[in-house]
Amino acid sequence: MDFRPSPAQQILISTARAFLRQHCPPELGQRLAFDERGFDESLWRRMAELGWAGLLIPPELGGSGGSLLDVVLLTEEMGRAGLPGPFVTSAVVATSLVLAAGNPAQQKRLLPALAGGERIASLALVEESGSFDIDAVALECAVPGRLRGRKLFVKDAHVADDLVVAVRVGADPTLLLVPTDRPGIARLPLDTISGEKLFEVTFDGADVRPDDLLGPLGGAPDLLAPALRAGALARTAEMVGGAQRVLELAVEHAKTRVQGGRPIGGYQAIQHSCADLVRDVDASRALLYAAAWKMAEGQPAELDAALAKAYAGRACLAVARRGHQIFGAISYCEEHPLHLVHKRIQAASLEFGDTQLHLETVARAIGLQSSSVGGSRR
Amino acid sequence: MNFDFTDAERAFAEEIRRFLRANPPETFPVDGMDAGYGSGANSRAFLKALGAQGWLGMCWPRTYGGREQPMFMKLVLMEELALAGAPFGPLAGCWQTADAIIEYGTERLRRELLPAIAHGEATFWQGYSEPDAGSDLLALKTEARRDGDHYVIRGHKIWSSHAGIATHGLVFTRTSRESRRSRGFSMFVVPNGTPGMDIRPIRSLTGEVYHHEVFLDDVRVPADLMLGPAGEGFQALLNGLDADRFWGRFYKAPALERVVRQLVDYANTTLVAGAPLAHDPVVRRRLAAIAADIAALRLIFYRTGCLIRDGAPLTYETAMAKVYADETGQKLARLGMDLLGLWGPLRAGSPWAKLGGQISHLYLTTLGHTIAGGTAEVLRTSVAVRGLGLAAEPKVAAEPKAR
Repeated sequence: MDFRPSPAQQILISTARAFLRQHCPPELGQRLAFDERGFDESLWRRMAELGWAGLLIPPELGGSGGSLLDVVLLTEEMGRAGLPGPFVTSAVVATSLVLAAGNPAQQKRLLPALAGGERIASLALVEESGSFDIDAVALECAVPGRLRGRKLFVKDAHVADDLVVAVRVGADPTLLLVPTDRPGIARLPLDTISGEKLFEVTFDGADVRPDDLLGPLGGAPDLLAPALRAGALARTAEMVGGAQRVLELAVEHAKTRVQGGRPIGGYQAIQHSCADLVRDVDASRALLYAAAWKMAEGQPAELDAALAKAYAGRACLAVARRGHQIFGAISYCEEHPLHLVHKRIQAASLEFGDTQLHLETVARAIGLQSSSVGGSRR
Repeated sequence: MNFDFTDAERAFAEEIRRFLRANPPETFPVDGMDAGYGSGANSRAFLKALGAQGWLGMCWPRTYGGREQPMFMKLVLMEELALAGAPFGPLAGCWQTADAIIEYGTERLRRELLPAIAHGEATFWQGYSEPDAGSDLLALKTEARRDGDHYVIRGHKIWSSHAGIATHGLVFTRTSRESRRSRGFSMFVVPNGTPGMDIRPIRSLTGEVYHHEVFLDDVRVPADLMLGPAGEGFQALLNGLDADRFWGRFYKAPALERVVRQLVDYANTTLVAGAPLAHDPVVRRRLAAIAADIAALRLIFYRTGCLIRDGAPLTYETAMAKVYADETGQKLARLGMDLLGLWGPLRAGSPWAKLGGQISHLYLTTLGHTIAGGTAEVLRTSVAVRGLGLAAEPKVAAEPKAR
């Protein structure tokens, strides 16, 4: 057993940390959160030049051939820096789906452009049920045919060039890959506390052609499961990175804020609070790395991913809340960095399955009998 | 990174499982109860059986009869024993004492004790705490006075686990007055039965005897039974406590995992208003959440194990791991009591007791875990001060100045 990142992974981490310190200071995260578009094109291009956008894409298709473990180490740094944007939805989830299910034409059209930062893709899955479970998808469509209905909580749809849309073709849950500029597709922003850009995407008779199919009819459940798991782990990594940042900020504050003649970190009440931050961050990170390593090794990791996201969803949010208490009144200000980290952790804890959903996966895996017969939830 | 066991570790785990199938743990006579950490129980017969396998001294240098196996083999052994509920009680204490003897013991200690430890014959109690020296251990009053080639120990130790069934005590004493409060301490390995030693049981809130108090009334101990350099015993003690936090709790995650499996079985087979308890969404979430806690706990201990194996410096890791282990045990015990309801408090042996009455035992014993071996408060302070570099709270003078 070895918990240390490899030398190559250590370089990835230190490169990411240095790059983000220079190009994504806390002020940028703040500005993008409050900005309606909230997307820095030149930063995205630079990240693509570093090979990040194509991290999961093999070199022959223009990518840098990394593993999900590399992705997790990178997104942890992004979470620590508070970098907003479509990295997880595009470079992890949509990219995984195109890699797994795209036909040669789709892969050739999309993957090099995704790796180069010229195109961005997102996932349109969730509907009014609020569920990431493919069984909850009700949007119907014939192929060929016309798409009428809507998707919710589609991340960064405003900058996406392509959408992976989960639909039902007859009884078959199926994925489509459609460009966002196709007539009949509209994107309406949802105003969120985190500043993350989420959208309602409406389809008003948008044309669907046979070559829009991503994978076979009925292929959505098997295709989505690993992609959502990868997304869940990348979001978990963002939470861990965010919690690490809270820990660093809180400890720094505890050392420098003087009350009653000494730094507040000299009082046991604050010390014990800080000790719990370390536990929550360390434990979340350990589960995250173990799950990502297993997935990268091709081992079954459904339980491990669920454990990691369920645990981090609770623990990292607890870190954020405790951080506010350590900082006191100053952290209630909009210009203070803490609240945005907190809100981003909150947002990440909900995407690709919230804590309750992942706990249910754990419940089944540890052998608790379920009342729902044959109902596999994701 | 790598989260798999090596082939050698996997083969050893399989060897342990074969041994446990051939020697069912429940067939060994038990001479002391488990204090809830997850060692099953204390059984000298079982310890001797482990010794006969050559597993007790397997990681020691060959000079001392060992086989120089990697330290991780000990983790593999503990995990398998805990998952099986085997009565390996004194194991962690034996390993820690042997490591200290190998590191800084006298030739006599090495010659006499290492073979006895390897065969499962020698087991140890810790004589650290005193009635007026708990979290403030340096306030202890037990003194060892040099008398020729002997030391004469006088004092009163308390909360010594299994002192009545062990063979030796590790007695922490003051041997000189020094200007620095942490200097002038020495540790002795004192054989049980030495004249002047009076070991008295303390019945605990479980109704069982686990702790003892030990009166030392001019106990004469040969000077070469001192463990470590004279006057520098405090550092040795800190090292020992650090080791105890790790080795004494490493097996808690697999032991708790075993309890979760039993609670899952219970929830699947217990009907409440006609439906299995397992169908209750609150029950499902609480059991799943504690399973996640235990999975994280296990990794935290393995990560610390890697640091120890690699000789990396430790600051906060063992303190944090211990608090997490002990609080997770309490959390699981509370959940177990909630699930069992009215049946929870029934003692083992009661015809209506569920899961052998062990959940209420776990509930009671885990109360002591956030106190023994460093309270959760002392350890959180240690994480903050040693790990995060926060300033220690100023010490208050021991005695107010007379005016």
